[in-house]
Amino acid sequence: MSAFGEVLLLPLSSLILITAFYMQGQEFIRPMIRGQLVQSILLAAISLIMGFITGDYDFIILAVLIVVLRGFLITYFLERGIRKDQSHLHERQVSVAYLFIISLVFVLTAVLIVYSVVFSGIRTESITGNRGILVFPLALFFQGLFLIASRRTTYAQIMGYIEEENAIVLFAVFLLPIPLLIEASVFLDVLALVVISSVVVVEKFTHERVEELRG
Amino acid sequence: MSTAFILVFLTMLLPLLSYLGSLSRVPRLDNAISLSNVAIALFLYEFIPLSGTFYVDFTTWVFILMVTSIHLLSQVYSKSYFRKQEIWIGENLFNLLLALFTTSMLFSLEINNIGLMWVGIEATTISSALLLMTEKTETSAEATWRYIVIVSAGVTFAFFSIILIYYSTGTLELSSVLAMKVVPSLTLNVAVAIALIGFGTKVGVFPVHTWLPDAHSEAPSPISAMFSGVLLPTALYVLYRIYEIDPMRNLFVWAAVVSVIAASLFLGYQTRYKRMFAYSTMENMNLALIGLAIGGEYGLFGALLLLLSHSFGKAGAFYSSGSILRYTGAKKIGEIQGLWKSMPVTSSALLMSSFAVTGTPPFGTFFGEFLIFYSLFSIHYYAQLILLLFFVMAAFISVNYNVTRMVFHGEGEKKVEEDSVMSGLALLSSAIPLLIGVIYVVMSIVAL
Repeated sequence: MSAFGEVLLLPLSSLILITAFYMQGQEFIRPMIRGQLVQSILLAAISLIMGFITGDYDFIILAVLIVVLRGFLITYFLERGIRKDQSHLHERQVSVAYLFIISLVFVLTAVLIVYSVVFSGIRTESITGNRGILVFPLALFFQGLFLIASRRTTYAQIMGYIEEENAIVLFAVFLLPIPLLIEASVFLDVLALVVISSVVVVEKFTHERVEELRG
Repeated sequence: MSTAFILVFLTMLLPLLSYLGSLSRVPRLDNAISLSNVAIALFLYEFIPLSGTFYVDFTTWVFILMVTSIHLLSQVYSKSYFRKQEIWIGENLFNLLLALFTTSMLFSLEINNIGLMWVGIEATTISSALLLMTEKTETSAEATWRYIVIVSAGVTFAFFSIILIYYSTGTLELSSVLAMKVVPSLTLNVAVAIALIGFGTKVGVFPVHTWLPDAHSEAPSPISAMFSGVLLPTALYVLYRIYEIDPMRNLFVWAAVVSVIAASLFLGYQTRYKRMFAYSTMENMNLALIGLAIGGEYGLFGALLLLLSHSFGKAGAFYSSGSILRYTGAKKIGEIQGLWKSMPVTSSALLMSSFAVTGTPPFGTFFGEFLIFYSLFSIHYYAQLILLLFFVMAAFISVNYNVTRMVFHGEGEKKVEEDSVMSGLALLSSAIPLLIGVIYVVMSIVAL
C-alpha cells in the first residue's frame, strides 16, 4: 500500500492545484464553492493515504475532520448564504480569463522565488521522502492569496482564505503533522470564521473603495 | 491542582461569568465580576513565574493586567455608550462576544503552547469581528470585512512559522522551546521571519497594517479601546515569544523603525481623529516591538512600561472620542471646535490622553520610550535611534497639534451635559499613565 500510496500523492497534489486554478477561473460563485468542496476532499484523501503510509492514526482522524468540517459544514454554510433566487451570483466587472493568466504567472513566480531562496537551503526532507512535494502547498497558498487580492466579492475572498488554510494543512501533512488537538482547534477556528463571514456577506456582498477609509 | 493554576484559569473564566452576570437581575454584577478579575490578575503576581499548562512570567503578568483592566473599563463604558443607541447584534450577543474576545486574548497570553497561542489569536478575530460592526453602517461593514480578511490571511501565514518551529524543535510547548536554547538555523530564521509578517499583520507592522486604521476608526469606541489597548499588544506578546526562540534583532528592529516612520508620515495628513489615534497605536506598538527585540533591563522594561501606559492612555483617547462623536456627530478633526467650552471634562481627558499616547513627560509612556531609546543607544544602533527621534517627534507634533486645535480653537457649541460615566472613565483612563509615570519616578528615586 505504501509504495502505491506514495505514487498517488503527486497526482492528488496536482489535482488540488487544478481545483485552485479552477476556482480562480470561475465567474460564478456556486461552482467556486463546489471547487472548494472537491479540494477539501482531495486533501482528506491525501491525509488518509499518509495515514496508511506512516501507520499514524492521527492522519486518518485528520482526514475525517477535513471531510466533516471543511468539506461539508463549510460548504453548507457558504451555500446557505446564497438564496435560491441568487444562484446566478457572479462578478460581472471582473475579467476572469485575464485574472486566470495573471494568477498562473504570480503563483509560478512566487513559488519559484520562495522555494529556491528559502526552502532549498533548509533541511526539508519531508516524511514522504520527496522534499519537492512542498511546492504544492506553497503554490496553493499563493493561489489563495491571489484569489483574495483579485476578487471583489466576499464569497470569493472567503474561498481564498479557505484555500490558504488548506495549503497550511497540506504543508503540515507533508512536512510533519502537528498535534491533533491543535489541528482540530484550527479547523474549528476556520469554521467559526466562515460562519462569521457568512453574516458579513449578507451586509456586504462586494467590496469597493470607500472614501471614509482612505489614507 | 495548584493555587496558581486555579488563579490563571479563573482569569479566563471570569469574563464569561461576567457575561452570565449581565443576564442576571442583580445590578452591576457583571462589573463586579470583571473588577474581581483585575484583583485576581494583581494577586497572580505572587505566584509568578509559573510553568505547566500555563506559562506566566513577569512579562505575561503585565499583559494579563492590561487585558483585565481594559476589559473592565470598556465593559462599564459600553453600557453608557449604547444607552441611547441600538446595538445591531443585540445587547446580549454584544456582551457575550466581548467576554469571548477577552477570554481568547487571555488564553493566547497564558497558554503554554505556541500552536494554541495561534488558535487564541485567530479566536480573537472571530470574537471581535461582529463587535466591530455593532453600529452597522456601510463603512463599518467594509472595515469589518477588511479586518477579517487581512488579519486572517496574515495570521494563517503565521501558521507556517508554527509548523517550522515544531519541525525544528519537536515540541510546541513554549517553556520547553525556550529552555532548549536552540542553535539558530535557517529553518528557525525563516520561521521567525514569517512570524514577523504573519503576527505582524495583527500588531500593525508596515506594510501589513492596512486593516488597523479602518477597524479602529469604524468600531464603536469601547471596542476601539480594546483593539488598541490590548488586542494589538496580545498579538505583540505572541510575536515576542516566537522572537525569543531565535532572536533576529536586526530584522525586527529595522521592520519596527520603518513602521514607526510610516505611522508618523500617515499621522501627518489624517483628517479624522479616530484614524489619527489608530496610527498613533501603530507607532506605539512598533516602538514597543523595538524594546522587546532589544530586550535586557532597559529594552524589555521600557517596552512593558510603554505598553501598560499606552493601553490606558489610548483607552482614554477612544473613550473621549466616543463622547465627542456622540454629542457632535462629527468624525473629522476640522469639524470640531472649542471643545474646552462645550465639553470640559471630555476635552480634558482627550488632551491628557493625547499627551499620554505621544510620550509627553511625566506620563509613563515617556519613560517607556526613553528607556527604549536608551537601549538602542547602548547597543550602538545610532542610525535607528536618530530616525526614531525625528519621526517620533513628528508624530508627537501631529497628534497634539490636532487635539489642541479641537480643544482650544474656535468658539464651539454651547455647553452640553456630558455623560458622567463616559467622561469620568475617559478622564480616569487618561490619568492612569500619569500615575504610572509618577510611580516610576518615585521608585527610581527610592532605588537610588
